[in-house]
Amino acid sequence: MIKTTILALDSATDACSVALWRDGSLAAHRFEARRHGQAEILMPMVRDVMQESAQEFKTLDGIATTVGPGGFTGLRIGLASARAMALAAGVPIVGLTTLEVVAAAQPERSGPLLVAIDSRRSDVYVQLFSPEREPASLPMAIMPGLVESILPGGPIVVAGNAAETVLQALQQTDVSLSNGPALPDAAVLARIVASRIAPFQTDLEPPAPLYLRPPDAKLPIEKQA
Amino acid sequence: MIVLGIESSCDETAAAVVDGDRRILSNIIFSQLEEHRPYGGVVPEIAARSHLDHIDGIVERAINEAGVTFSDLDGIAATGGPGLIGGVLVGMMTAKAIALVHNLPLIAVNHLEGHALSARLAADVSFPYLLLLVSGGHCELLAVEGPGQYTRYGGTLDDAVGEAFDKTAKLLGLPYPGGPSVEKAARNGDPRRFAFPRPMRGRDDCDFSFSGLKTAVSRTIANLDTLSESDVADAAASFQIAAAEVLVDRAQHAIDRFRLEHGPNGTLVVAGGVAANGTIRESLTALAAETGFRFVAPPPALCTDNAAMIAWAGVERLGLGLTDDLSFIPRPRWPLAELKQRIAS
Repeated sequence: MIKTTILALDSATDACSVALWRDGSLAAHRFEARRHGQAEILMPMVRDVMQESAQEFKTLDGIATTVGPGGFTGLRIGLASARAMALAAGVPIVGLTTLEVVAAAQPERSGPLLVAIDSRRSDVYVQLFSPEREPASLPMAIMPGLVESILPGGPIVVAGNAAETVLQALQQTDVSLSNGPALPDAAVLARIVASRIAPFQTDLEPPAPLYLRPPDAKLPIEKQA
Repeated sequence: MIVLGIESSCDETAAAVVDGDRRILSNIIFSQLEEHRPYGGVVPEIAARSHLDHIDGIVERAINEAGVTFSDLDGIAATGGPGLIGGVLVGMMTAKAIALVHNLPLIAVNHLEGHALSARLAADVSFPYLLLLVSGGHCELLAVEGPGQYTRYGGTLDDAVGEAFDKTAKLLGLPYPGGPSVEKAARNGDPRRFAFPRPMRGRDDCDFSFSGLKTAVSRTIANLDTLSESDVADAAASFQIAAAEVLVDRAQHAIDRFRLEHGPNGTLVVAGGVAANGTIRESLTALAAETGFRFVAPPPALCTDNAAMIAWAGVERLGLGLTDDLSFIPRPRWPLAELKQRIAS
């Protein structure tokens, strides 16, 4: 779908980005690395990208958003915005994981890839990808010390903003840090979606968040056990 | 003027469409009560997740039921705080997105101002008026001089009155949410059985305190060997009348001050979730009759959290040209009195 026009956004991890993809290339793009404050900058970024590319919302083919995993607040900021824009503009919406987006951005293609995203807790969010960058495991939350147990063996490249944490916890020697971007970028998200044969299926439910962790909530003592 | 309002600051996901002639074209509320009930209170992360899951569908329903389209709207209003920040963010980002797509003004509404102005949606009430704002998180007396123009007469030194209802319900083993449970139990109870204190009564200001009342309930229950159904009913009724009498006494002082500042005739407005309580409404009606004040209480559905009041506050602010930027940062804490400074600056 070379001719697809896509508005893509991400605010699920330690960055905030918006991209407008049109006629096979990026028409406008904003990226800012920041851990907090996406609620403040995301919508002005969308406005700037739409203005710079002279694009109207109603003529978009669709909107693409990340759905997590990442910071709960950040992923909700992006997903709520994207879903509301899709509703308001009457255009379809698609969601991809931050892990998929980071995986697609890595230049190294010779072997398997592990993407690790910071969970802001003691565990990390990880997913394995094949050399062709197809998912080779489900996304999961795992303690860094246990990552070794899910690896296929042999050389592996690790990417993402928790890659260093994972690397430090691994005993095996044939692991290396990817030299690609560590954070998701809406430009990559837009490119992935545009490369699909049918990027937007309109009969689907809006994309749901991927938290990988239940909410922090304790039942009253008498209801436990 | 037609405004879409969005409310998501606690455990209700709500959207409503209201016009400048005080017509509520739609008013949709999705209550998360069942999701929080097992925990005996609102769990912030559960609330935030639920708001995200439901908000776009609720907005769509509000638009459809109002028989309008997004392009018929003149503005998008959403609660910008105070409240549970995860939920406020979801509602505010939804509002920003719709405002940007349709190039409409955004109005970030202070949730308390939504309550404060709800009387003007329900009835023909002109500024200034005296407001008793009572909910689970707030307990304040204010003179309302206009949108964004609030003079605080007094507030609680410890618990909000709604909090006292919730804690009393817990002590009595009544189900969550506590306010309606206490009211229901009190219907069969004797309000004179237990002589609970009336904290602050007679003091020469407009402040409240409810922690002592809650402690008295706790002590009284501890002294009973068993807690029978009639004990629970009597305690609920005795607590409720004590709370109502404190509100009346404090409102009386506020009426005295309001008279000095704004003349002898005035209007007393009660708003917020606790304003849905029948005994409190009756007590305040009697106070207004004694003092010659007009009494206005919005219908219970506009007292508890709803989006119609947010849309209406949006109508009022938009009428004065008070709009907000797409970079607005939601505020977990946002006292009403700070609105005045924001307008002045």
